[in-house]
Amino acid sequence: METREHIWAEAMRAERRGETAAYERLLGEIADALRRLIRGRLARLGLGVHETEDLVQEILIGLHIKRHSWDAGRPFLPWLYAIVRYKLADAARRLRREARYRCDITLDEWSALFAAPAEDFDRTLIDVDRHVDGLPTGQREVVRALAIDGASVRATAQKLGTSEGAVRMTLHRALQRLAAAADLERAEPIRGKA
Amino acid sequence: MSPASKTGHDETGRGETGRGETDRLIRHLAREAGTQRDRGAFSFDRMLFLVAALSLIVAVALTFLLFGIRADLLATMRSAPFQHKVACTLALACGGFLLVRDAARPGGTGRSLLVLLPGVVLLAFGGATDASGLSVMGQSGISVPICVGAIIVLSLPALAMTIGALRMGASTRPTVAGATAGLLAGALGAAAYTVACRNDGGLFVAIWYSAAILIVATLGAAIGRRALAW
Repeated sequence: METREHIWAEAMRAERRGETAAYERLLGEIADALRRLIRGRLARLGLGVHETEDLVQEILIGLHIKRHSWDAGRPFLPWLYAIVRYKLADAARRLRREARYRCDITLDEWSALFAAPAEDFDRTLIDVDRHVDGLPTGQREVVRALAIDGASVRATAQKLGTSEGAVRMTLHRALQRLAAAADLERAEPIRGKA
Repeated sequence: MSPASKTGHDETGRGETGRGETDRLIRHLAREAGTQRDRGAFSFDRMLFLVAALSLIVAVALTFLLFGIRADLLATMRSAPFQHKVACTLALACGGFLLVRDAARPGGTGRSLLVLLPGVVLLAFGGATDASGLSVMGQSGISVPICVGAIIVLSLPALAMTIGALRMGASTRPTVAGATAGLLAGALGAAAYTVACRNDGGLFVAIWYSAAILIVATLGAAIGRRALAW
């Protein structure tokens, strides 16, 4: 029976003979295995699929660069295990450091927390974004250009090929819609979207 | 609730593109198949051996440069204490070499510190059977700092070269790999220093040679931790 060890070791030997297809298949299979391994663990750390893919790529590159350090006479899986473990530990250390950095509030931020009027800024931004997404196409373009990109009314009118008056009118309608949406939100604060 | 579900949706979307990126990366890497054929496992061991031999030669040359050639060198080389010192340090260097070779490979054989046993036993034996009556602190007040300092300095070229060689391997435990490099370099430095060392007391050698080698190993660990990460 062909074991995983046997198949992969053979593919590594094929790589040394310059067999691109065999090596590509090997890397693909390793990537799948890594995804299965990492996904569950990263989810537990509260990280997403995107980070999983980054980590898979990082391990594949490491394996590729150091593939000469595998001795063809020795088992392949222990070699791969050592590399995966090393790269995962490295990533975990980096993630911990980043998390600590993100959590580390400065004294300024702490003071600002009490100096400014209480308002959940991040939440507001996310909500605005979501509501703007919900606008009709024409209104959305105008709001994005004026309020988010900070363009002038004239530039926006030129870009969209209409008059300045039309842009102002569209903005007015969009703001009314957004205000209505915000009222609704306030009346029903835990309304789920999904 | 809603921002969370929105984020989840976004990440699934990005995951799909991320996966495509990984597939592209794999195709790109696969095109380099067979381009590393000339750097097999055998050639790495041979290179490491050459590095160790060269390190010893450099260390001996440096010893002669720093301390001069003793007039009674040939007579010294025939003496038992000298031969004991050389045997101890070279035995340690052999063990260190095996450890370095193992540390250069992911999933190495897990060679234990037992390979250092011959050198350690020789050192301990010399210390335990020391009947020379010489002081543990050496012949003069500055013997210890001179001896330990000299071994450390003489080990530095060997340490640099060994860590350079290890960088061509793949250490999955950089700190440990650095420590093994320091051990090898320290033993080689100590072996070279024997041609200049005037302290023949077995206990002196057992204590201070070991101390110097351990200091170099610690230095190697500190350097390896950063230099051998990849």
